[in-house]
Parts: sequence; C-alpha cells; structure tokens
Amino acid sequence: MTLAATATLAFNLAAAAQDSTVVDLDSVLVAPTSDEDAESESREQFRSLDQDVQALKKEVLDLNRDLFLLEEELLFPANSQVAFFLSMDVGEYFELDSVNIKIDGKEVANYLYTVREAEALVRGGVHRVHLANLRSGEHEIIAIFTGKGPHVRDYRRGATVTIDKGIGAKYLELAITDRAKKQQPEFVIKEWE
Amino acid sequence: MLSGRSLLSCLCITLALTAPMRAVEAADGGYDPIVVQDPHFGDVLFHFYQEDYFPAIVRVLAAKEQQKLDNHADDAELLLGGMYLSFGHHLEAAEIFERLLANNVAPDVRDRTWFFLAKIWYQRGYLDRSQEALSFIQGDLPDNLEREALMLEAQILIDAGNYDAAIARLANWQGETEWASYAKFNIGVALVRSGRVDEASRLLDELGQLNPFNEEMASLRDKANLALGYALLQDGQPLAAKAPLQRVRLEGPFSNKALLGVGWADVEMGNFQRALVPWMELRSRDLLDSAVQESMLAIPFAMAKLDSVSQAADHYLNAVEAYYEETNRLEQTIQQIESGQFFDNILENETLDGTGWYWQLEELPDGPEARYLFHLLAKHEFQEGLKNFRDLSYLRRNLDDWQQNIGVYANMLETRREAYASRLPRVEDALARADLEDLIRRKLEFDSRLNNIEESGDWLALASTSEFDMWGEISGLESTPALAADILEAEEVQDKIDLLKGVLQWRLDREFNERLWRLRRDVRQTGEALLATQRLRRQIDESMRQEPMLFDNLGNRVDNLGPRIEGTRMRVEDAISTQRAYLQTIAIGELRAQKQRLDVYSAQARFALAAIYDVAATGEAAVE
Repeated sequence: MTLAATATLAFNLAAAAQDSTVVDLDSVLVAPTSDEDAESESREQFRSLDQDVQALKKEVLDLNRDLFLLEEELLFPANSQVAFFLSMDVGEYFELDSVNIKIDGKEVANYLYTVREAEALVRGGVHRVHLANLRSGEHEIIAIFTGKGPHVRDYRRGATVTIDKGIGAKYLELAITDRAKKQQPEFVIKEWE
Repeated sequence: MLSGRSLLSCLCITLALTAPMRAVEAADGGYDPIVVQDPHFGDVLFHFYQEDYFPAIVRVLAAKEQQKLDNHADDAELLLGGMYLSFGHHLEAAEIFERLLANNVAPDVRDRTWFFLAKIWYQRGYLDRSQEALSFIQGDLPDNLEREALMLEAQILIDAGNYDAAIARLANWQGETEWASYAKFNIGVALVRSGRVDEASRLLDELGQLNPFNEEMASLRDKANLALGYALLQDGQPLAAKAPLQRVRLEGPFSNKALLGVGWADVEMGNFQRALVPWMELRSRDLLDSAVQESMLAIPFAMAKLDSVSQAADHYLNAVEAYYEETNRLEQTIQQIESGQFFDNILENETLDGTGWYWQLEELPDGPEARYLFHLLAKHEFQEGLKNFRDLSYLRRNLDDWQQNIGVYANMLETRREAYASRLPRVEDALARADLEDLIRRKLEFDSRLNNIEESGDWLALASTSEFDMWGEISGLESTPALAADILEAEEVQDKIDLLKGVLQWRLDREFNERLWRLRRDVRQTGEALLATQRLRRQIDESMRQEPMLFDNLGNRVDNLGPRIEGTRMRVEDAISTQRAYLQTIAIGELRAQKQRLDVYSAQARFALAAIYDVAATGEAAVE
C-alpha cells in the first residue's frame, strides 16, 4: 500500500503554507498535484465577480454623492447656510471633550467627541460640527468648549463673535490653538476666509 | 484659513493608508506640512483619519462637484485614490494613480503607491496587473517594501509556473533577516516543484536548522523541515527524510504531518515496528487533521505487516466507523452551507463599516462549520470574496437608509412648495404696497432742498421747530403798532427784540454747517438704506422667479434618485446572491474534498479489511 509520500505531500505542502503573516505563502505552495487549470478558472471567476463589485461600488458612490448634495441643498440652501467647522492646532494644552454652540442665545448644537474623533482633529481633520439656516443680518454666535486643560484640569472656555449674514453660504471656524508662550489653549471663532 | 495645525502631505497620507500596518508614522518624516485651506478638505480628513473611508470618499466627490476643493485639487485627488484603495475600490484607484503619478508626485511616493497597488491586485488575483504595477517601480523602495516587492514578484512567477525565473529572482537574496528566510523557503519550494530536489535540499536543510528568534521563524523552520522531509520521501530517500521530519516541533501545528511522515519513512525502510511509534502518538489527536485520518489506516497497515492481523482488523473497523461518522458530520455541514444563511450569519456580528481592504475575518463563528472551514481563512480567494460580500452588504444597508430618506425628502419638498404657494400672495401684496420709487424720489428732493439751503445760506431753514416758532414770535412782535410810538419804552423793547433776534440768528448761523452736515448724513444713510432695500427687493424678485425653478429642480432630482436607488439596490442584491454562491462553492468544494478523502480512506480500509478476512477465511479452510 503506498498511501504515503505523493498524496500526503500535496496536503502537507498546502497546509504548511497557510500560517504566514509576513508573506503569503499559500499561493506559492500550491500542491504539485493540484489542478492548475481549475485554479486559473477560479481566479478568473473571482476576477469577473470582483469587476462587477467594482462597478457597483462606483455606482453607489456616485449615487451617494448626488444624494449628499441633494440633502444639503434641500435642508441647508446656500443662501441661508452657515456651516460651523471645528479645528484644533496641536492640542498640547487642551483635550477636547465637547463643544456647545448657541446662535442668538439659543442652543443649536452640543457635540461630544469620541477619542477617535478628537485624535482625528489633532491630526489635522476639521469637523463640520453644525449646519444652520440663518436669515440675513447680524447674529451672535457663542461656542463653549469643555475638556482637559493644562495639567489635565477640567477646562471650560467660551468664545463669541457677531457675524453679519449676507446672501450666500458662510463658513465659521471654531479654532482651538495652543499659545506656547502662555502655555494655554486659545479659542477663537472666525470666518473662514 | 485654518491656522497652525500641520498635516503631512496628502501623498504621505495616501501611502500611509495603503501600508499594511497603516504605518502613518512611517510616512511621518521629510515632508513639508500643509495647511488646510478649504474647510471641506479638512472635513474629508476628519473622516479619513477615523478610517471612515466611505463617508470621506462621498464628501470628496461632493466637494469636487461643488468646486469647494480648489486649493487642494491634486491633494484631494490623490487622497481619493488612496481612500478608494482602502475601500477596496482598486480599479478606480488605479485610474487616479495612473493619471496623477506620472508627473505630479515624488518618485519615492509614486513607487510605493505602485507597490501597494501591486499587492492588492495580487491578493485579488489580478496577476497581470500586479506584475505591471511592479514594473512601474523605477527607483528603490524602502528596504522592507523592497523585500516584499521582490517576494511578490517571485510569487507571481511561481503562480505562473515559471519556477526558474522565480528562483533566479530570489537567488541573490542575502542576509539573515526574516525576509531572507522566507526567500530561501520559497526558492526551496520552487526547486522542489521543478524537480530539483537536491538543490532544494541544501536550502531547506539550512533553513530547517536555523535558530528561530520568534514564533514566526520557528513556524517557518517547521515548514521547511516538513517540506524537505516529504520532498526526500517522494524522492525515495526515506533515511534522509527522517532527520528533518524529526526536527519539527512535537507540539506545533505541523507535528501531525511530521509524525505521519516519520512513520512512512520507517515503512519505506521496512521498519514497521518503529513506524508504529509516531503513528500511535497520532491516535490521540484530532480526527479532523488529514494526517490523523491517514494514520488510522497506516497503523493497521503496519500491524498487518507485523502479522498482528487480528489487531489490524480491529483498527480497520475503528477507522471505517470513525470515517463514517466524520463523513456524516461533513455532509450535515455541507447541507447547512447550501441552505444559504451561513455567510450572512458570519457578518451578523461584524461591524459594517467602510474599511474594505483592511477588513479580514480572523475566525469563524462558533459552530460545527468552523471546525472544517478554518483553513479557508488563509485563502486569498475566500478572504477577498468575503470582503466583497461584506462590502456589498454595506452598500445594501447604505441604499436602504437612503431609500427611507428620499421619501422623507419628497414629503419635505412638497410641504415647502405648499407653504411657499400659500405665502406668496401675502408677500406680493406687501411688495405692492411698499412704493420704493416714491421713497427714492423723496430722498432726491431732500438732496435738492439741502443743496439750495447750502447755496443760499438759509440758516433759518435749518432751525428746529421751537427755534422757528420762536423766530416767528419775535418777528411778530416787531410788527406790534405800539413799537412805532416814539417813547423810551418802545425803544427799549425794540432793542430787546433786536437782541433776541440777533442771538437766535447768531446761534442758527453758527450751527448752520453742523446742522447741514447732520442732515446730509441722515439723508445719506436713508439713501443707503433705500439702496439696501432696493437690492433686497431685487433679491426677493429674483427669489420669487427662482424659487419655482428650484422646487422643480429639486423635485426632479428627488424623482430621479428614488428609482436610481431602487435599481442600484436590486443590482447590489443580485451581486450579493452571486457572491454568496461563489463563497458557498469554495466552502462546499473544500468540504467535498475532505469528504472525498475520507471516502477514499474508507474504501481502502474496507478493502484491507476484506483482504484480511479473505486471508483468514482461506487459512481456516486450509486447516479444515
């Protein structure tokens, strides 16, 4: 009886290839007895399916783009839109927990940041924290930032600005910056130029 | 402009996200910081840094459409390419890279991008494109990537059956690094597969005796020994095969195969007694392993050779029974997978986020299937197929959400349209009542009157009402007849009147310029207010003209997008079914192969058993 080497070598080599994390050896160690035509056919089948998936991904992304734009134009028309963007520079003296936004004395947003979001801000991301519709004219904006300040102490600071809303979208930046000389964070609301 | 916070160049980001370890830190040097100039680009980065690639991609596409990324056009495009890659949208990513990488990008960044594209294409079975991407690399990659690229190239050659070229490609690999060890292993395997066992032996033997400094190297050492042992067995060198097989760790994942091989080496040398030692060790191990299954046949085979026929028959019977039970379990598992819910259940506990390429199923959910399918997890076609299945499920959920929203938007738009229609008559009425032209005419009259007052120096014209009344009263006193009398009192009163008139006139004259300036300022401000009102009026007129068109435009878009969502959703659903069927085929193929192996073993056991009974019966007959 010769069950030995030839048959088992196939299984063994294939199995031996499967636990590498550095380089994928599975594809290198296809058993000599395996049917290479079948493998090639399977690869072609996968590729064909994958191309379909790629086409669908494009279709869905394009659809999402159109829906995203429609949603924004419908809910926040350009003429009345005011967008609030929160940015952080460095973040050495302040760890952001939340921001609260008031327009003309009325609270419109209160956003709690996850660790992941706060990290994204520190790395340079800018969060569109709120979108609002405002009439033309003057509006008072107040933003209150809470988090941990220098020496990991609870920290709560506000910033305020009066804006003149005209026709067309307005972008406001709630900027948190580090003031190295004072070793303190600074909070400013300004129009994005 | 956003001050301060510096970003790494988007080119680095692109590479960072495609790096297998998401090695942002690897890209964190030598690149000029950039500053976010367009808030929408910053918003994209906010999602990108959280690895929420799908929403980040949608935001880039939307911002591009609205031309809100003017200051970051190239950066955004490259970032988009990188995010496409992360989302597993590699063909689209490649189009961007092919367009942008030629000129706009530093050579090292370009080369690394091609490398990562080559890698993803290899994983997805686009071997031609993978090879092409590798050929676009012109300079030197960082050391770790250079080694991986070389390995990748060799893998492609080996996959294509071009062993000599693969061997040549890897032959000059120097050093004692992990990569060098893997290169040696791959060369060894390629040599075995091209029939050059002697050459392979030297390499694999060297590797099989290395002093492993971590688990990965220990595992590679076991693999090399196993591959070498079986290659030598196959080459008819059982004695030489034993040493490498015995070097495989007894408790490692390859020990079953090694024990089986050691036994076969002994059998090949005619030593059946010795062969039983490693094989009996396998009896206590998991029957799922093919080596253990085979040992159940090998043990009675050796016993029969040692004339322990009765014991051999018992073992064959045990084997037949064990194979039968295992085959039944396999059949049940096949039926369960064929029922269609298996892969949906796998995704039930997974978070469906947009991280297409990075996602990998680490282990199958508990259940009888996991036992048979765990090694499918190591297969590219299975993992990549599962990724596509998962991505499609994510797309379906995304479309489901939009399908609900689009209905809400249609209602919202209708409500707004009705509210506008009901408010319009009131607004038109109010506008008709506000005679702006008359107000402007009156303002111009004021201007003209003030000019005349200034020219004529008519200080009295600028008197307040009380002053004007006072002036009239005083002037009225002058015409009193008593004042004409030639008496001292009349003269005194006249003097007082002259004094009062003089004081009043002096004050009005003194304040003439100031009063004129104030009036002019007020009229100017009124003019400005009128202009603003006029502008506002034009805007209102324009809005009234635009609003119905805007409603129509939004309405058309809502009307079109609804069926588009529905149509795409149906196509996604079809693709999910196809992808599910594909995965089922792979999984069931794997199970059938296992079942087929058991069938063969079972048939061999029955045949051997029959032979034993036959011999026994023949012997008994002879005795009688």
